[in-house]
Amino acid sequence: MKLERETHMKVSILSLTCCAGCVSSLLNTGDALLEILSSDFEIVYSPTFIDLKEVPNVDLTIVEGGIRTKEDEELVKEARAKSKILVALGICATHGGITSLGDMFSVKKLLEKQYSFMDSSKLPEIAERMYPICNFVDVDYYIPGCPPMPFLIVHTLKSIVSGKLPIRHQSVVCTECHRKIVPAKLDRLYGIYEKEADPELCLVSQGFICLGSLTREGCGAPCPRANFTCFGCRGPADSLMYRSRDIYSFLVKVISVRTGVVEEKIRKELYRNPFIFHTFVFSKIERFKARERVI
Amino acid sequence: MSQRKEISISPTTRIEGHGKVTIVLDESGNVADAYFYATEIRGFDYFLRGMEAERLPFIISRICGVCSTAHVLASVKAIENIYATEITETARKLRELLLMGQIITNHSLVFFFLTLPDFYFSSEENPSKRNIFQIMKEKPEIGRKAVELRKFGAQLLDVIGKREVHIVSVIPGGLINPLKEREREELLKAAETAFAITREALALGKELFEKNWEGFRKAGDYKTHYMALTSDGSLKFYEGDVHVINSQGEIFSKFHSSDYMENVEEKTLKWTYAKFAYLKALGWPDGIVQTGPTARMNVNEEIETEIANKELKEFKTKFGNPAHATLLFDYARLIDLIYACERAKELLEDQSLTRTDTRVKTRPRAGKGVGIIEAPRGTLAHEYTLTKSGRLKSMKLIIPTQVNNAAINFNLKDAASEFIHAGEVEEGLLNRIEMVIRAYDPCIKCATRLADSRLKVEIIKNGKTEKIL
Repeated sequence: MKLERETHMKVSILSLTCCAGCVSSLLNTGDALLEILSSDFEIVYSPTFIDLKEVPNVDLTIVEGGIRTKEDEELVKEARAKSKILVALGICATHGGITSLGDMFSVKKLLEKQYSFMDSSKLPEIAERMYPICNFVDVDYYIPGCPPMPFLIVHTLKSIVSGKLPIRHQSVVCTECHRKIVPAKLDRLYGIYEKEADPELCLVSQGFICLGSLTREGCGAPCPRANFTCFGCRGPADSLMYRSRDIYSFLVKVISVRTGVVEEKIRKELYRNPFIFHTFVFSKIERFKARERVI
Repeated sequence: MSQRKEISISPTTRIEGHGKVTIVLDESGNVADAYFYATEIRGFDYFLRGMEAERLPFIISRICGVCSTAHVLASVKAIENIYATEITETARKLRELLLMGQIITNHSLVFFFLTLPDFYFSSEENPSKRNIFQIMKEKPEIGRKAVELRKFGAQLLDVIGKREVHIVSVIPGGLINPLKEREREELLKAAETAFAITREALALGKELFEKNWEGFRKAGDYKTHYMALTSDGSLKFYEGDVHVINSQGEIFSKFHSSDYMENVEEKTLKWTYAKFAYLKALGWPDGIVQTGPTARMNVNEEIETEIANKELKEFKTKFGNPAHATLLFDYARLIDLIYACERAKELLEDQSLTRTDTRVKTRPRAGKGVGIIEAPRGTLAHEYTLTKSGRLKSMKLIIPTQVNNAAINFNLKDAASEFIHAGEVEEGLLNRIEMVIRAYDPCIKCATRLADSRLKVEIIKNGKTEKIL
């Protein structure tokens, strides 16, 4: 989708329900940001940086955050209608992100303790669930991550500018991890801080629940490199995105093979800790055409 | 028949998160009330219940991507408080360095990207030009410096915390990864460059401030109590006791950080998802208190590092002790920034920083505990109650923006009163209102981890929206 243009691409940056970490990550791109801004981009709409209140017509819209209010939904639809290309930046926009954990409760429950007397006429209507933006609009590129690494953002934006397809990351974090997989004979699993991890051995074979074997690569495995388990902030890899794939059983198998712990015990342990598994992808996802478009 | 009218501004721009302002006019068309509020919901306080305490620090940082490290540090301190864990001196220093990285990333963002355009361009300037990208076009070197300074902060977070946003290295009991000698040397070099940039930023800030001071002073003040962490009157971010001074500058109370929740109470009001915090001893609304950069300058008598200390003295001489003008937040933020760079350099010069004893074992147990640090926007408190099996039973967070929430609203009313007379709205209202809000650098993401907001100004007459600005 090469864009014919003589001047800078006009760009909108939209923040929906999120923590603003993805735009922070974009700012951390440093010199690359300056380069893009001086030669390719003109940011024309971004409530975080610019005083313009109305969404204008643009070439590219970058959306951080997911949809939790009616206002979010209207805003993203308007931005889509006024934009040639739309990029979902970060796991909240692509998969619902951490806020989707709120889907465990009804909105009523989330609000009732503190805000049951809220004068709701002044506040935007809260949606029943947290949704990724693809449930409502077509997305051209998805960049999952919490937040996505600066180099992934730069690569995607530069590819868009030059009309090329960005490099897609399809496999799992293990492919980028330096650790050696040596099947072990353990009798149980360990909490993340329960013992110090060996810096060279696979974290799973040491008994830690690392999600690297499920999670999309592309980040460069910064967490396992820091002796910390992968916690799945880039969402599932391509091979695990088919409906027929039972991610849960897959993880149980991987852990069992690498640790030697019997599957039943692992299943129990995972069941006890539901937060490990769904932290960033608990949302109900619809219209996810991501297999061809996830960076 | 009464003729009530309301004015709304939405979204408020150049702040973190989305906010909305509503101004209510009385029968004669003068300002009766002004509200700044939040309109988003996320629900962190509820959905994290049941989570293992060990996962909390790196998950809870997702409350705010702008000051994520501040949340991680408050969170591990709360957990260590419950577990009665004493971390090592090396870990303490590395954490302080991380917090300096946090102050640098945040304050460089706020100064250059959010507030500088207000000082740089006159308020008559076309709003579409009043932003950092326009400054970058006119003066590319300012843009380069903004980016380089932020990069140093991000580098500290990346090298020590192992990720630039939402760090992972800090855990209950210390840090997973010690600092390598090579990393220390590289960071030290970068610290020197960053310090030079900060001094230039301060000079630029002061120059623009002096030029605009008359107008800024008119933007109002709101004399309240002020609160900050301190070590006997010396500026501290990572540790210390909480001191509160009154509007005359006298000490009102001093308490240990673990008694924070006994001293600060919060309440909800009908029209916003963000809560209001106030001093329990004085009740609402007498106990309204401000925190953040100006409060840090007011509460503290000195700063340990040389240049920042000199600037603090100058600040007090110029603007009074305590200083009240709202827009001084922007000035005080630059002194924070100078301190953060000086302190980071000082910490990095210490060779014992690379010792490998960064981690001690924790012994999980049930209980209640508070963790307090001085975040970029002021005193940040996390309180957790953990169960016997080490899971989160409940939590209570008091975020700087909740503390400043009341002051923001009162200030807003003053600013609006200045521009609206007998139903006539003068030019420049919108920007002045936003400047007042921006001075506080409110983080709606934090204050409303329960709720999100998008700023609108709406004029309402007889209960109907008449005009949206």
